[in-house]
Amino acid sequence: MGRAIELPGENPTFKAHPKMTFRRGAYAYLVETVGDKTTYTVTDGTNTLSLPIRWSFGVGGQTWILEYQGNLYDSLVSYYPAIDGLDITMGDERITPHTLEEAMGRELKQGETKACFGCHATNAVIDRKLTLESMQLGVTCEHCHVGANAHLLDALQGEFASVPPKLRKLSTEDISNFCGQCHRTWEAVLRGHFEGEINVRFQPYRLANSKCFDGADPRISCLACHDPHQDVVRQDSSYDPKCLNCHAASTQPASAAARAGAPPCPVAKANCVSCHMPKVNLPGGHLAFTDHQIRVVKPGEPYPN
Amino acid sequence: MKFRGLILGCMLGGFLVPLLPGCALAQATPSAFDHVVEAATAARERDDVPQAIGLYSRAVQLRPRWPDGWWFLGSLQYETEAYPAGRDALTHFLELVPDAAPAWALRGLCEFETGEYSQSLTDIQRGLSLGAGKQAHDETILRYHEALLLTRSGDFEQALQEYAPFTRSKVSNPELLVGIGLAGLRTPLLPRDLKEDKRDLYLAAGSAAFLFMSGDEAAARQEFQNLFQRFPTASDAHYLYGLLLFPTDPDQAIAEFRRELEIAPSNAAAQLMVAWDALMRNDFSTALAYSEKVMAEEPTLPSARLVLGRGLVETGDVKGGIDLLEKELRLEPDNFEIHLALARAYSKSGRKEDARRERLLCLQMEKSATNHEVRR
Ligand code: HEC
Ligand code: HEC
Ligand code: HEC
Ligand code: HEC
Ligand code: HEC
Ligand code: HEC
Repeated sequence: MGRAIELPGENPTFKAHPKMTFRRGAYAYLVETVGDKTTYTVTDGTNTLSLPIRWSFGVGGQTWILEYQGNLYDSLVSYYPAIDGLDITMGDERITPHTLEEAMGRELKQGETKACFGCHATNAVIDRKLTLESMQLGVTCEHCHVGANAHLLDALQGEFASVPPKLRKLSTEDISNFCGQCHRTWEAVLRGHFEGEINVRFQPYRLANSKCFDGADPRISCLACHDPHQDVVRQDSSYDPKCLNCHAASTQPASAAARAGAPPCPVAKANCVSCHMPKVNLPGGHLAFTDHQIRVVKPGEPYPN
Repeated sequence: MKFRGLILGCMLGGFLVPLLPGCALAQATPSAFDHVVEAATAARERDDVPQAIGLYSRAVQLRPRWPDGWWFLGSLQYETEAYPAGRDALTHFLELVPDAAPAWALRGLCEFETGEYSQSLTDIQRGLSLGAGKQAHDETILRYHEALLLTRSGDFEQALQEYAPFTRSKVSNPELLVGIGLAGLRTPLLPRDLKEDKRDLYLAAGSAAFLFMSGDEAAARQEFQNLFQRFPTASDAHYLYGLLLFPTDPDQAIAEFRRELEIAPSNAAAQLMVAWDALMRNDFSTALAYSEKVMAEEPTLPSARLVLGRGLVETGDVKGGIDLLEKELRLEPDNFEIHLALARAYSKSGRKEDARRERLLCLQMEKSATNHEVRR
């Protein structure tokens, strides 16, 4: 999460791909890196608009923030690791550009800019105002540990005692809401009317809809499976113990009380998430998320909302 | 009153006739009753309303359980502005045909004129829920009166929602604008009860709100600035602008609520919005502090208990919060926000089954709400 925003000079994608091109309709795109600078160029063959990339959002999929005539824009074209190249930014597929400026990107409304930087950076919004001067890139320690600066040095030296203890005391439901500030809470997804596959990226929403979820049971909290200080673990088998904490067969150590209501699997003994937490492609097809609505997936069944 | 003209013109035409119970009264030999009915029908058809009223009155004296007679009598009396008599005739009719939507609606409109406002609101809402507003212009008349009555009874947010469809056509008239102004500035009056020297303020507020609700936010901003300049001490003006801004720009909305609280420090509605906004951004102690103030100042404000209940749940008094929310749910069993709040509260306190039930209910409510929007 620390790299949720990056400057061009630090972006490994640009280093690996100093020259990326894409064409859509009348417009041709070039994303070119020279040294620390990356420029985003769009041309219709007659006129050309060339802008420096100010920030990259996302470490996997990447969308760029451009500045044009004093306003911020969200690039119309993004990088996707799944195709190792460029395509239209997700959500912008419906836009048919009529001018070079529209082909370059979508102007961010004030509230929107604040929201982007609010989730992807730290100290970018102070007193409800966008303050890019004070911004630290990415979701840094302080974003989650309010007032953490003072404790930071201790923590980095392994003296965890002085870290604000509040986070550790949160209930599972509250952890979901805490992570949901950015990953979207169950409530926010409902209010936003996000229906269909697009809501698979909102893990707190999906998890709460699973029969496994219990807002007071720490074994199903986000933190049971993820350490927010580490990259996500990508090995299916490493999640097995988390499931078996509740779903252990009778020969396994979990107490009868702990197993109450959580039956063992009649089909397999390992790699639980490979069957019960399938990957779901977002519309557009270049991004996939893990469905946190843990369940028995029946072949051919429609995506449960 | 413009709307009255509309009602008079079309009530009997498009609106009420389809509900008429068919005249299933074929009888073997013509009786005195049949002669009266025949004469009454003839009088009605040649638009001789006073004559028709007299004859229908006779007919229902002869046969008090003849619903059509009461119906014609009531609607003709309404047409001649004989509201108390019309109300009574419709009451007889409704005793015989209790699910006749237009009769509830029409009786509500009579009661509006006789000043029996709370009964009027009940009847109009009953009529609407039974389907009296199926035709667009009937719905307009009924919703307009409903909005006026909601305002009068202090349910201002609901009233503003009822006015929303009126802004889509972008056609307004001063009467409508004053009505919107009254709801917006949280003044529990009917336009006709407003003092003449106050009219300008409500007209200006209503115009600004109308522009905003019709989608012209730039023009609305200008109108609101004019309003603030002309009436710098008017309470609820900044609140109204904040309320309209809140869904799309909560930051600017909060600035307006804070301005409101400078002008009117004890404005409970503005405090409640500050509390709600704090809840939505996880600033729970602010939310709790403001909602406690609201409860002290105006405990009957709709949503006050909802916000306080949520505030309590979030700041550690989960049980107290749940008690309050459950009490509120008994009063408003279909309130989506209360179900949302309870889902979270139950989940936090480990009541897994209850949480799951509330969540499924919310999902269902949300789906039917969006389907509804799509259909529109
Ligand atoms: C301040 C916003 C914010 C909060 C709070 C937050 N996240 Fe994130 N998280 C992000 C962003 C932004 C990304 C995406 C980084 C990217 O893809 O560039 C992310 C990515 C992740 C990933 C994927 C990381 C990877 O290696 O691919 C996991 C897992 C994750 N978050 C878990 C959590 C958990 C668990 C919590 C709560 C303890 C949490 N997050 C709270 C913003 C946040
Ligand atoms: C409510 C918090 C929030 C807001 C607002 C937000 N993001 Fe994100 N964004 C996230 C999180 C969390 C992730 C990582 C997990 C995910 O992809 O859902 C993410 C992922 C991304 C990614 C990686 C690719 C992808 O789609 O997963 C990009 C690019 C991105 N965001 C760009 C933006 C831009 C540009 C804006 C503003 C227009 C924005 N985000 C607003 C929270 C947010
Ligand atoms: C996305 C949110 C997030 C970010 C970013 C984050 N933390 Fe944490 N941190 C947490 C949560 C949640 C806990 C509680 C963990 C638990 O209970 O297992 C925690 C716990 C800790 C602890 C206590 C260790 C423990 O297991 O109790 C330390 C120390 C810590 N964080 C340091 C840091 C430092 C240093 C950074 C920046 C490099 C950082 N954190 C960034 C969310 C975050
Ligand atoms: C029972 C274990 C489990 C729990 C609980 C859990 N996750 Fe995950 N999460 C996973 C697995 C498995 C993956 C996929 C890892 C991979 O890529 O192989 C994942 C992936 C993610 C990702 C990366 C994007 C994606 O969807 O693939 C994010 C972000 C994330 N989880 C956030 C959360 C948050 C926030 C919560 C709490 C609401 C949470 N997770 C709870 C198991 C869990
Ligand atoms: C906190 C304990 C807990 C954890 C951790 C947990 N589960 Fe569950 N899970 C349950 C309970 C309890 C049920 C039964 C709920 C019911 O039937 O009402 C359940 C039900 C299920 C079901 C059946 C759901 C259905 O739709 O019929 C599957 C499949 C499942 N769990 C798989 C998993 C997997 C895989 C993991 C790990 C990724 C996991 N669970 C983690 C408690 C847990
Ligand atoms: C190869 C795919 C696969 C793997 C791997 C797998 N399961 Fe299952 N699981 C299934 C299927 C299919 C069913 C449904 C069986 C049925 O209904 O007949 C199921 C059923 C379940 C159920 C519901 C049982 C019930 O009685 O309702 C639970 C709980 C469960 N699995 C947990 C797990 C756990 C925990 C793991 C890892 C230890 C796991 N599964 C691994 C495919 C798998």
